[in-house]
Amino acid sequence: MREGESIVRVQGLVKDFRPGFGLRKKRVLHGIDFEVKRGEIFGFIGPNGAGKTTTLKILMGLIRATEGEAQILGHDVGETAFREHIGFAPESPYFYDFLTGAEILDFYARLCAVPRKRRRERVQEVLELVGLGHAADMRLRTYSKGMLQRIGIAQAIVHDPSVVFLDEPMSGLDPVGRKEIRDLVVRLNADGKTLFMNTHILSDVEMICDRVAIIVQGRIAYQGQLDDVEGGGERQFDVTFSSLSPDFAEESEARFEAQLSGRRDCVTLRVSQKHVSELMQGALAHGAIVEEVLPVRAGLEALFLDAVAGKLTGDAK
Amino acid sequence: MRWLSAVFAIASNTCRDAIRSKVLYVLLFFAILLIATSATLSTLSYIERDRILQDVSLGAIRFFGAAIAIFVGVGLVHREVDRRTIYTILSKPVDRSAFIAGKYAGLVATLWALLAVMSLCFVLTSLGSHAPLDAGHAKALALIAAELAVVVAFATLFSSFSTPFLAGCYSLGLYLIGHMTRDLLAIGQTAQSEMARELTRWVHRLVPDLEAFNRSIEAVHGLPIPGAEVAWTAVMGVSWIAGFLLVAVLAFERRDFR
Repeated sequence: MREGESIVRVQGLVKDFRPGFGLRKKRVLHGIDFEVKRGEIFGFIGPNGAGKTTTLKILMGLIRATEGEAQILGHDVGETAFREHIGFAPESPYFYDFLTGAEILDFYARLCAVPRKRRRERVQEVLELVGLGHAADMRLRTYSKGMLQRIGIAQAIVHDPSVVFLDEPMSGLDPVGRKEIRDLVVRLNADGKTLFMNTHILSDVEMICDRVAIIVQGRIAYQGQLDDVEGGGERQFDVTFSSLSPDFAEESEARFEAQLSGRRDCVTLRVSQKHVSELMQGALAHGAIVEEVLPVRAGLEALFLDAVAGKLTGDAK
Repeated sequence: MRWLSAVFAIASNTCRDAIRSKVLYVLLFFAILLIATSATLSTLSYIERDRILQDVSLGAIRFFGAAIAIFVGVGLVHREVDRRTIYTILSKPVDRSAFIAGKYAGLVATLWALLAVMSLCFVLTSLGSHAPLDAGHAKALALIAAELAVVVAFATLFSSFSTPFLAGCYSLGLYLIGHMTRDLLAIGQTAQSEMARELTRWVHRLVPDLEAFNRSIEAVHGLPIPGAEVAWTAVMGVSWIAGFLLVAVLAFERRDFR
């Protein structure tokens, strides 16, 4: 497969569940279509109960679609053998807690028929990659939530797949844990892996995803490049300073048409991209300290809220 | 080859999981206790001490073996679904049939290891009491091993689509009926009603005849157990196991893991 080629293709996917023993069916996916291209980090986002996990479970062969097609790497998701090329980390994973980190990865590597000689080396490699080299011989019952999340990703990549599916990988993690997982995802992508990330945390998506699809009530409300989501307006940045003089802050607010906000001893100015450099130079000259500079991507949140409110139709795709 | 490799990996992991079960050790403890104390029990009788000792011991092995098979077997698949460990297994290149076969093989291997421990206790107790031991005892123990493999097969089947409680009820019911199917058939044939006779015939056909695996009486009384009969019973056992596991795989293939 070449760059930009479709790695995951979903067409007209429908899933009906029969709640309890009743005859009535509940439709949770209403004929969704989307595709993921080689080498991208794809964010599959939507509110709770939108059908994200159901879609992912169909892709993983854990549940069967009622109608429609789903293919990964050109194979129907009902097949088994091609799964040696894919990895899956479920949300809040549970593992055999009587095993150690190294043992559980060895188990999953065996399931993927990784040769015995290669297994030990690969397990150690992956443990180091996810930052658990020190915990290789610790039983999983002693792992923290963040460590379990990382071992979940480790088992998904222990057989070196080309596509990795992550279900809510940052769920329940503290900011440090979230950053570690984000960095890991970016590193895997840099290694040439295609990543499919199921999440409802928009800030994570904005930071690392190339393309997104928004699913709402079992329907795809939007899909496209993240850069397109940000809209045609000029990019905005939040520049946060400490020790910024109030006079300079007020002057900059007027001069750069900035939005001023502050908390404790920090002041944040939201300015357009063209003013960032000038603002920072001026502030530094006035003895301020630059704490952080973050791009503002209000577009995705606005789009997401519009999608949830039903303001986007299929045409918006 | 890949299928076998997955079965082996799942089986060895199932063994490791099963040997952590406290229920298993409690039952094993009581089995060994009963076998060890059978020597004392046999002294209560002036006659046939050896037979009482071996009868009680073999009975304990069969009873506790089946209890472990049912207790551990009924949660075998359900626990994996409930704990969601199955998500990470089935998303790998692992057929659902390999998963069922691996879980089954793992529990059977565990049970056979426990059976070996109980058999060793039986042999030591018999030797200590100067009770005779011959090939008949080995055949009886081999048939207990085969019976346990059948019990695990139907416990696995029920576990593949049901909760542990219901699977336990179904398994216990089938185990009891399986041991009574010959008696039911005999009683049915004496009934006036043709429907009752037909019903008991069908029960006898559809339910594994677990009494066929019970050759303890012959072993204890030193009666011959023809090798051909043991072989035929083993073939019958393998057929039942294949049948139960096939249905388990079919039921499991259709399941959605929501």
